[in-house]
Amino acid sequence: MRFKEVKDTFFEFWSEFRKVKYGMVGLVMFVLFLLIVIFESVLIPFPETGRRWRDITYWEDNPKNAAPVWVNWFTRKRSAPHLVLDAAEFNEKKAANTQMVEAVFKYDYAYDLPPLDLLLRAKGKGLINLVVQLERPDGLRIELVKKAIRLNSEAPIRLSLDKEAASASSNFLQTYEDPAALRSISMFTVQPVETFFACAEQGLVRNPIPLKGEYRLKLTSVAVGGGAALTDPSLTVAGRVFGVMGTDASKRDLWSGVIAGTKWALLIGLLTSAVSVLIGVFYGVTSAYFGGAVDLVMMRIYEVFQSIPLLPVMIVVSAIFKPSIWTMILMMCSFFWVSSVRTVRSMGLQIKEETYVEAAQALGATRRRIIFKHMLPQLIPYAFASMALQVPVSIVYEASVSLLGLGDATIVTWGQILHDAMQGGAVLQGLWWWIVPPGLFIALMGMTFAFVGFAMDTILNPKLRTR
Amino acid sequence: MEKLEIKNVKLHYYTSKGIIRALDGLSFDLRAGESLGVVGESGCGKTTLGTALLNMPTPPGRIVGGEILINGLDLLKLSENELRKQIRWEKMAMVFQGAMNCLTPVYTIQKQMMETILSHRKMSKEEAEARIRKYLNLVGLSADVLRRYPHELSGGMKQRIVIATALFLEPQVVICDEPTTALDVVVQAQIINLLKQLKQKLKLSFIFITHDLATEAEVADRIMVMYAGKAVEIGTNQQIYGPQGAAHPYTKLLMAATPRLHQKVDQLAFIPGTPPDLLTPPTGCRFHLRCPQVMTRCRQEEPSLIEIEPAHTVACWRCYHE
Amino acid sequence: MYWKYVLRRLASVLFTYVIIIFIYSALFNTVMETTIRAQIDEQVKQEMLLQTQIMSPAGLKQYQEERLALYYKRYHLDEPILPRIFWRALSTLKFDFGNSTIIRSAAGERKVLTIVAEKIPRTVLLFTLATAIDILIGVLLGMKKAQKPGKFLDQSTSIITMIVYGMPTWWVAMILIMLFVYKIGIFPSGGLHSIPPPTGLAYVLDPLYHLALPLLTLVVIGFWGRAYLTRNIVLSTLQEDYIMAARARGLAERKVLYGHTLRSAAPPIATMSILSLLSSVSGGLIFEGIFSWPGMGNLYWVAIQQNDIPVLMGNLALTTLFYLSGLVLLDLIYGMLDPRIKVGGKA
Repeated sequence: MRFKEVKDTFFEFWSEFRKVKYGMVGLVMFVLFLLIVIFESVLIPFPETGRRWRDITYWEDNPKNAAPVWVNWFTRKRSAPHLVLDAAEFNEKKAANTQMVEAVFKYDYAYDLPPLDLLLRAKGKGLINLVVQLERPDGLRIELVKKAIRLNSEAPIRLSLDKEAASASSNFLQTYEDPAALRSISMFTVQPVETFFACAEQGLVRNPIPLKGEYRLKLTSVAVGGGAALTDPSLTVAGRVFGVMGTDASKRDLWSGVIAGTKWALLIGLLTSAVSVLIGVFYGVTSAYFGGAVDLVMMRIYEVFQSIPLLPVMIVVSAIFKPSIWTMILMMCSFFWVSSVRTVRSMGLQIKEETYVEAAQALGATRRRIIFKHMLPQLIPYAFASMALQVPVSIVYEASVSLLGLGDATIVTWGQILHDAMQGGAVLQGLWWWIVPPGLFIALMGMTFAFVGFAMDTILNPKLRTR
Repeated sequence: MEKLEIKNVKLHYYTSKGIIRALDGLSFDLRAGESLGVVGESGCGKTTLGTALLNMPTPPGRIVGGEILINGLDLLKLSENELRKQIRWEKMAMVFQGAMNCLTPVYTIQKQMMETILSHRKMSKEEAEARIRKYLNLVGLSADVLRRYPHELSGGMKQRIVIATALFLEPQVVICDEPTTALDVVVQAQIINLLKQLKQKLKLSFIFITHDLATEAEVADRIMVMYAGKAVEIGTNQQIYGPQGAAHPYTKLLMAATPRLHQKVDQLAFIPGTPPDLLTPPTGCRFHLRCPQVMTRCRQEEPSLIEIEPAHTVACWRCYHE
Repeated sequence: MYWKYVLRRLASVLFTYVIIIFIYSALFNTVMETTIRAQIDEQVKQEMLLQTQIMSPAGLKQYQEERLALYYKRYHLDEPILPRIFWRALSTLKFDFGNSTIIRSAAGERKVLTIVAEKIPRTVLLFTLATAIDILIGVLLGMKKAQKPGKFLDQSTSIITMIVYGMPTWWVAMILIMLFVYKIGIFPSGGLHSIPPPTGLAYVLDPLYHLALPLLTLVVIGFWGRAYLTRNIVLSTLQEDYIMAARARGLAERKVLYGHTLRSAAPPIATMSILSLLSSVSGGLIFEGIFSWPGMGNLYWVAIQQNDIPVLMGNLALTTLFYLSGLVLLDLIYGMLDPRIKVGGKA
């Protein structure tokens, strides 16, 4: 196969391909997916998603089971989104062995449904006494937390007001709510942070009216000891809605998860199909060309492989041996080659009967030459179409195995996200943002390759043209 | 039937590369009881003619002009339904080329033949079967073949079945499209003899399409020579094959190109050049690029069929002058 | 002629099945043996319990060893690896899958064969029904598409086929469940029977009610591919000479299409249909799990969650058997539909 021939055939094919609209759509989608993989770290707010998917500390500031931010556009009641705030005012005074800090955070609350939590983060060393006070738009000042922390060396401080301000909130309720209403509910069901954002009047436990306006959270701390200090305070407002695709029950940002999973899907799909189709083509051609005993034996082996239902075997093997993604790819390759063999072999047999092959043999062409120059080039277009159509199959296989919880636990794949969704009761609770996006991406990638593959198929099969 | 008249029929194929003018104004007649042979090279439009006569152009072909009058009734104006009920197989039947593939492989012969008869005539099963057997006999086959599938039969047997099927409704015109091309010489001879017998016995009118001049000579009463979608010469068997020879240069070359058994041949004669591109046919006479006797007029004006002797028409300026 | 063909295929398949079971046995030998040893230990402990009153500790120990040796011999665990694999394969082929670790059948039995066997009809019910409907709709749609190729119906349905191609059926199931079961409570969430099961006529109709959503999901995703394939095959058949010949003979278009064309296209359509049915077995596994449809697929889920290896193995052996039967069925149907095989002759 000379280079010029290859180039010509390719350009001819390309001009045909361009005419098929959906083929081009598929190609564009493919490029988009590639771009996603390349720009992954730029696209997602949590760049270490891949490695730290199962590390709960990486996600701890996020809300749990939060819907995506944009649902606010469609609902009447708007939910407070997730936000990270730096101190608007920061005053630090240092004296011998003592450091005093006064930091004020300004939070503009303009929503109907309050945040789920307020998280104060800082770094500290020494014996630190801190007080957190909330100043509401209606003028009320509430002391939320009063606490002492001892840190011998510099360590991060994390205060979840949902936990720390529980007693402050119950006091608040008892001050402003009707005692009868308070008696009818259990204190465990009350969300402390939520109560602080409600108007201070009766009925605030059952039907809180949101108090909108500017809230100021004041953090005052005194750190005592050698080198004692409190630095870098920040306030994280754990929103009720989060990000582009919301969060799951483990507080993980689903947008990051889905984007991070893209590269694995592409890898699995492309690698498995390329390898298995290549094996299939070579197998089919060899079997067709050599014929006789070789063909017989090869076909017997082929029948055995064809008769094994892959997914059940993959499931049982995964359940028992708990493999990695590479072993799964290996398993899939070892079985997917079967699908190309039948067609390739019959095409090969047809070509073998052609007179030009006979002529080539008469001219003394070596077997290798006949296979590579005469048989394979005709099979290449079919091989590519085959590969394209095989990609979605592999992706769905991996997703199926992962869905059962048998996937590779060291990486994030779309199937695994869906597994967690099943386990986390997403279907029951209607957490559609957990279920729809990962599966949608699987479907979209499937579509991409289906468009391209079907387009190639139509071009290569002239009987099916309908012009 | 009295007469089948083809007047100026045009059949064009509308492909993505352009319009191929396969039949571009073809005219001839067929009289009752005669067989008309149609000869020409590959690509001259012979097979297209077969499908045109039944008003069944192969897509993307369309009949765009002319008339096909059978006893004065114009086929081209009939609806598909009318064609199916009145014309196809009733008045005109076709014996196909390459009987290899015109029998449906999944049905037995009996089913296919019965289905055809019963689609057209109201008969009881027994009557239909009797008719089928009669015609199978006529073509020299036993009733055994009825329960067979096409793949179980030889080429010759299939061809006979196709002939029997074409005849059993006793149509007025039978179009034979290369009925013997795919068969070996011995079987070929048998089929030709059979057709001659049937023609005599049943007093049918035939249109016999082939590229094989020798077979044509055997069966045809009149011959029509086609070139590039048009008729270039029409004459009786005697006029074309006889000692005086044909008139049109193309026909003459065709004859010369057929080697004779008793002649000493040093070099095979052939017609130089290739058949014309029907996408953009040549101006003037379509043969002028290959004609050894070409004149200036041939390049400019297209000749029409003009009678040079009774029952002998030619489309050639050279012949007209002479 | 046909019978010879049938016998040859059956023999070939049996042979293949035997080989596959050997492969399975070799692959999973270690795991199976660990389980069996554990089961034997348990069994022997039980037996010892009955003997504690009677024997002395030394006598008990000897008893334990004797019993262990007996069982090991019975299960061939005392032999080298190859014979062990051989015996394991043999017992699998005899459908002796042993006992489960935890799972019990509806009647409380622990025999794996019973456990798996009672799930079979449910899987068969769901998937054969779905396939039948799939084929019906798919083939009819495919024929309609082939009659006007390249026009609107054809193009639009082909695009939908491509869109649905990479969509996991179980994901669509999840969404439909979320929608129709929890948001709009039309359908039950899963299982075969309602709890508590209704009586009388309702008892018979109840499974149908539960069948509705899974069936709907399967069909809605499935028939597109069938239609596309049928369309291609029929389109290519329509270009054959014998179809033109049939039309020339003045046969009614209906007969030409549904008789000659469809009938001639039937062998490849049947092949494609059954092959894609078989490949949907895999999807079916997960699918059953989502709907808690108590079939073989769901059993995989349960067995994995409970780590019940014998059940997994038994299920796998039977699934493979069904899969193979499917392949044989395919060949037999093909042979029946194509006279060139049914009545072999000089081609």
